Amino acid sequence: MGEVELSCRAYIKMFLHSCLFPRCSINGLLLSSSPAGGAVCVTDCVPMLHSHLPLAPITQLALTQVDVWCSQTQQRIVGYYQANACVSDSSPTQCALKIADKIAEQFDNAVLLMLDGGKMSPDYRVPPIVMYERKDSRWMLKDKHTIMLRQWEETRAIASQMLESGDHMLLVDFDSHLDDITKDWTNQKLNTKIAELASPANGNI
Amino acid sequence: MASISEMYDVGWEEMRDKLRKWREDNCRNSEQIVDVGEELISEHASKLGDDIWIIYEQVMIAALDCSRDDLALTCLQELRKQFPDSHRVKRLSGMRLEALERYDEANKHYDAILQDDPTNTAARKRKISILKAQGKSTEAIRELNEYLEQFVGDQEAWHELSELYINEHDYGKAAFCLEELMMTNPHNHLYCEQYAEVKYTQGGLENLELSRKYFAQALRLNNRNMRALFGLYMSASHIAASPKVSAKVKKDNVKYAAWAATQINRAYKVKLSIWTATKSSLLHLFSKMD
Repeated sequence: MGEVELSCRAYIKMFLHSCLFPRCSINGLLLSSSPAGGAVCVTDCVPMLHSHLPLAPITQLALTQVDVWCSQTQQRIVGYYQANACVSDSSPTQCALKIADKIAEQFDNAVLLMLDGGKMSPDYRVPPIVMYERKDSRWMLKDKHTIMLRQWEETRAIASQMLESGDHMLLVDFDSHLDDITKDWTNQKLNTKIAELASPANGNI
Repeated sequence: MASISEMYDVGWEEMRDKLRKWREDNCRNSEQIVDVGEELISEHASKLGDDIWIIYEQVMIAALDCSRDDLALTCLQELRKQFPDSHRVKRLSGMRLEALERYDEANKHYDAILQDDPTNTAARKRKISILKAQGKSTEAIRELNEYLEQFVGDQEAWHELSELYINEHDYGKAAFCLEELMMTNPHNHLYCEQYAEVKYTQGGLENLELSRKYFAQALRLNNRNMRALFGLYMSASHIAASPKVSAKVKKDNVKYAAWAATQINRAYKVKLSIWTATKSSLLHLFSKMD
């Protein structure tokens, strides 16, 4: 199948989301602002939940709200990410497969991304992600060579730096938004910070 | 780096009181506890009197949570010196071994406690936590069920069991646990709301009606619970849209949904005069879900 590019902004927000809730399973949606066709460019993500991932109501609500926001901002939902609380197991759960299936109904080349908690320590130089794509109604491991993270070293450095400075505390997921609706689940403040730290070459794809 | 007392202009008494509040509220803000506790212990230990032991315990657990084994060991050693034969301290030793993923050794500690005192609930719960950490959900669920047969009033255990069942997609059993919790905590809006979410997830008309009732109950207990408000809107809308309901039921649920929609709009208007994206997306949300 095709290539997938993961932007600096998308990676950093997923990374910060998992750092903000290290004791929970977390999930979110992967978005693209690029036109369909060719490589799938994941340009942004929306962090969704950090509790009760398998329960339906809030997931449905989040999917609908993000869908609407995307149609207003020329983006589309192209995938789903999850990080399991149990660091030793980074395989997709039933609920991950379910939600990814739903996204694949609307977007053929949907991706399912699992964050590997075991590989997120500073000494790991490789992106701690495992990607799956849909082949014959099943989610199969994607060939690593079709996954691109431009400027990975810089992205990794920015992620570490933001974690050190406590910027993960600024991240808002949908769960947090429901606890306090003044909080912005599109994370504009964080997006700005990331843009300030990233070089022009590491900007939007 | 500046100390906590410098950064926040607080004295040691305020730091001690903050730690007490976090203990009482059972907060898991481990990074903060470590920051405040470490400074309190190293600079003001002599002023704390007998409080120091419970603070050592609190800081030790927080340190384990933050992978600060150095600090955890320091606290543990002080506690061991002061309380050499204590089961409570032995349990802390076990927890440290768990943090280091030395589960077999940790289990030996807990088994030793249980040999001495079979009613020690803390040790039993740690053993169940180990099963959970090892990904052995089925065993954890079985052990927790056995535990609850003996200790039927343990709220924390019932809630833990409901979480385990939810992760296994066993919604019927999760609902049962939440029913126990609602019975003993009728004023807790969170249990009502979680129960409603489980019922909604189970699906089917009967469950949807139950979920709507419990979302409404959660709102009665706390009218600012946004999850309950959205849940009420969604469940009422789904019921109203079902071909199996009578005209009256449909009419009632349309009313409930409309009421919820008004409340949601009102909540967002009040809080978000500057954020238009949500407002318009909410309008779309309602039209899409009808």
